[in-house]
Amino acid sequence: MSRWRYFFRRLLLSVPVVLFGLTITFVIVRMGPIDPVAAIVGPEGGGASRGRIEERLGLNEPLWQQYITFMVDMLTFNLGQSWVIQPGRSVESLLMTYAPRTLWLGFWSVLIAICIGIPLGFYAGLNPNTKSDYLASFGGIVWRAMPNFWLAIIILAVLRQSERFFFGLSWQSLGVSNNLIGQPPLDFIAFTDWTTIGIISIPVGVYFSFSTLIESIKQVMPAAIVLGSAAMGNEMRIGRTAVLETINSNYVETAKAKGLRDRVIVWKHVFRNALVPLVPIITNEAFILIGGSVIVEVIFGINGLGYLFFQAAVQGDLPLVGSLMFIFIVLIVSINILQDFLYTVLDPRVGYE
Amino acid sequence: MSMNEFDDKTLRERIADNPQPALAWLAGALVLVALELGRLASGIVQVGETTRFALGGIASLPGLVEESVASSLGEIAGLVAFGLAALVLLGIAAILVKWLLIPWTLVDRLGIEASTGVKDIIERVIVTGLLVVAAALVVLTPVGGVLEMAVSAFTRGVEWVSSLPTITSRELISNEGYQLPDGSWEGTFLGLSPAVAWALRVAVVYAYALVWLAWLWRGYETFRAHYREADWTPRDDSINRFRNHYWGMFGLIVVIMFLVMALWAPAVSPATAEANLYQPYEHEFEYYGDDGVETISHGDANFDSRSQGGDINVGIMSYDDYDRFHPFGTNTDGKDLFTFLAYGAQVSLVIGLLATVLMAVIATALALITAYYKGVTDLVTIVASDSIISLPRFLLVLLLSVLFMQANHPVAEIYDGGLLLALIFAGTGWPLLWRSVRGPALQVSEQEWIDAAKSYGQSPAATMRKHMAPYIAGYMLIYASLSLGGVIIGVAALSFLGFGVQAPTPEWGRAVYEGQSLIPTSSWHIATLPGILVVLLVTGFNALGDGIRDAIDPQSEASDGAAGAAGGGG
Repeated sequence: MSRWRYFFRRLLLSVPVVLFGLTITFVIVRMGPIDPVAAIVGPEGGGASRGRIEERLGLNEPLWQQYITFMVDMLTFNLGQSWVIQPGRSVESLLMTYAPRTLWLGFWSVLIAICIGIPLGFYAGLNPNTKSDYLASFGGIVWRAMPNFWLAIIILAVLRQSERFFFGLSWQSLGVSNNLIGQPPLDFIAFTDWTTIGIISIPVGVYFSFSTLIESIKQVMPAAIVLGSAAMGNEMRIGRTAVLETINSNYVETAKAKGLRDRVIVWKHVFRNALVPLVPIITNEAFILIGGSVIVEVIFGINGLGYLFFQAAVQGDLPLVGSLMFIFIVLIVSINILQDFLYTVLDPRVGYE
Repeated sequence: MSMNEFDDKTLRERIADNPQPALAWLAGALVLVALELGRLASGIVQVGETTRFALGGIASLPGLVEESVASSLGEIAGLVAFGLAALVLLGIAAILVKWLLIPWTLVDRLGIEASTGVKDIIERVIVTGLLVVAAALVVLTPVGGVLEMAVSAFTRGVEWVSSLPTITSRELISNEGYQLPDGSWEGTFLGLSPAVAWALRVAVVYAYALVWLAWLWRGYETFRAHYREADWTPRDDSINRFRNHYWGMFGLIVVIMFLVMALWAPAVSPATAEANLYQPYEHEFEYYGDDGVETISHGDANFDSRSQGGDINVGIMSYDDYDRFHPFGTNTDGKDLFTFLAYGAQVSLVIGLLATVLMAVIATALALITAYYKGVTDLVTIVASDSIISLPRFLLVLLLSVLFMQANHPVAEIYDGGLLLALIFAGTGWPLLWRSVRGPALQVSEQEWIDAAKSYGQSPAATMRKHMAPYIAGYMLIYASLSLGGVIIGVAALSFLGFGVQAPTPEWGRAVYEGQSLIPTSSWHIATLPGILVVLLVTGFNALGDGIRDAIDPQSEASDGAAGAAGGGG
């Protein structure tokens, strides 16, 4: 089977995966132990309002019809609205408000994990069985085993007392002053003016505030470090093994025999090849980020998607929960497809079976 | 150790031929059991009660199904659903009963001729039928009452045994007493200070556990030297490799330390959970106050020994005002933190192990079936597992536990939500495990001996069990121990958010939650210590998994996608 046929088979397979994932969501939300209407109506709601809401949600119809309506609505991205948290607000507008914060958080946590984890792993791999290798490896293992929620509160406590730990250097007033808990300001960039060429709109006036950007990064940094911690440990470990494997391979030996300089060998022959096994690790992080963002967002007070999902689940806003779950399914399935695509392009050995 | 059927002698016969080493080992084991007979019996009582409760819950399932079906489709459909659900449950029970209790095949005894696959089915139908008759007898006739009486008589007997003194009992090495004005201690073991008495008891517990381990190892060596048919098996090499694997040994030691802490939680904790955590106002103790010896309830004493930062603090390795020793300090409401954490270890490990065992059973069964039949079964399982993976695991777990807990579902009450959590984690975690062992399972299914077994006429189930499962078991052990850490972290994280194990059952995550705002104060220990325990335990399981991997398959390299994915979220 050619690589591309394999890829297209995977692509085709993702259709039943989305459908079945949605079905599970439907079963949990509509047939689960909680009555979706109860939380919406509230304890003092009478039978009349109950009936009205049941009718609007389509709950008075037979189950199979509810199922079909639910599936069609979701698949046509007719996501409905929130009923309890912000009644009447459409899910799209909620997403527009909440998603950018999670994306910003996720972006930094992936970036930090890559920028710290991979270099450390490569360093450990280049100096195997030395003291610094042991230190880095052991640190990575412990770092990975730390529960995010615990790491988060410890980091918060340390930063709150940063004068005591860092010789009078206070994190809160470092650079720009801010609170430790709260959402990062995202209005550092805005388009003030649009011009239309034909049918395409192009922003011409751009507002950009450097200090707000710094503030925003500083605000999101501790949360991003916590969220990326597990991924960082993973990348370090895999990076170390990958470097060790490539360094002992024949083509590196050949390069050495040719008399290439160490610097060239390391940069051109070792690092480039060691990066290949790291691709799935980095894409896999998306899973962890989406799931883990709940804890981190709740503790750091960032009103992102995870926080929204948590509130929706706790307060019984089940229609919103269903729609958010669908968004997550689509996100994860697309990331999987992206990973398969990258594999197909990068590594010709994949997928002959 | 299962014996293969081509040996001319069974293990029993070999022991009968040369009973001396086996008897010597057994005598030692009996002495060890006798030392802790009371605790063992009380453990049996506890497990029995839980099993009974769980069985009651399972037995009420058909009723629940009937109710929900009857409400939407009518009475008769409800009755049919009741019958079907009961049959399904008894069918599952039949598989277990057949596997555990009936070593010979009924079909052969009855002389029924059929192909092997059909035979298996007939066998199961017969056992299910017998179970239906038994269940009907118990429910409808006085046999049930007789059974009830027999069980309660047995329980009373075991309870009497559990009152026997043991070597690690709190009464023998007591750390509860009070200090007289002249500095001497009253009521403690040999008049030692409570701290020393407690440390001594912990040391005795660990020494006892260590002796048991050494004795078990000796038992294995006796078996190897005297009773095993083969002089050498590949497993010997694996064990030798593991013994020289320092990282893996470190993991094993850490895991064993926590297991001992969980199993002997009543013995290693400075106060009993009953008195200190669950019903503090119904238990009293003596202390030396202003007017000589006085009595006070644990609850009142706890109120004066809270840790809330600043001056209101009972830190690690310190006494409170009532001469009670707190190795890890106290909680925000004055309960002993070490007791809380020791019982919390029990909760974490029970949930983690239960979830992982369930996951591993599902994943192994599916891996065997999909590798044996391939084709459509494989494809369906891929779609199902990919779909479950495409729902973010932590969010799914969170959603399910929130829903079940807010609806006050009966499942959420067993073990204060522990069973529910284990089921949820197992239900959402098996796809990751299945993915990890699918490769090895497919590999082994391509081997010639599978073909040979097929053409020899062995039934699919037997082929999978005898010729494929042993090969997968090693891999399963690796990935199971790696994913156990993920479950433990997940449970703690859920409890931290308030939707895991409910109070008053102790759970590590809840201690972190209670103490999170006190970290900068003098009461830093409440949130910090449980976190360190989680890190240690999870690192231990990861190291154990690494060690087993290197022992089983020294060529393999770290492929820990499963562990990474499982660990995420919390």
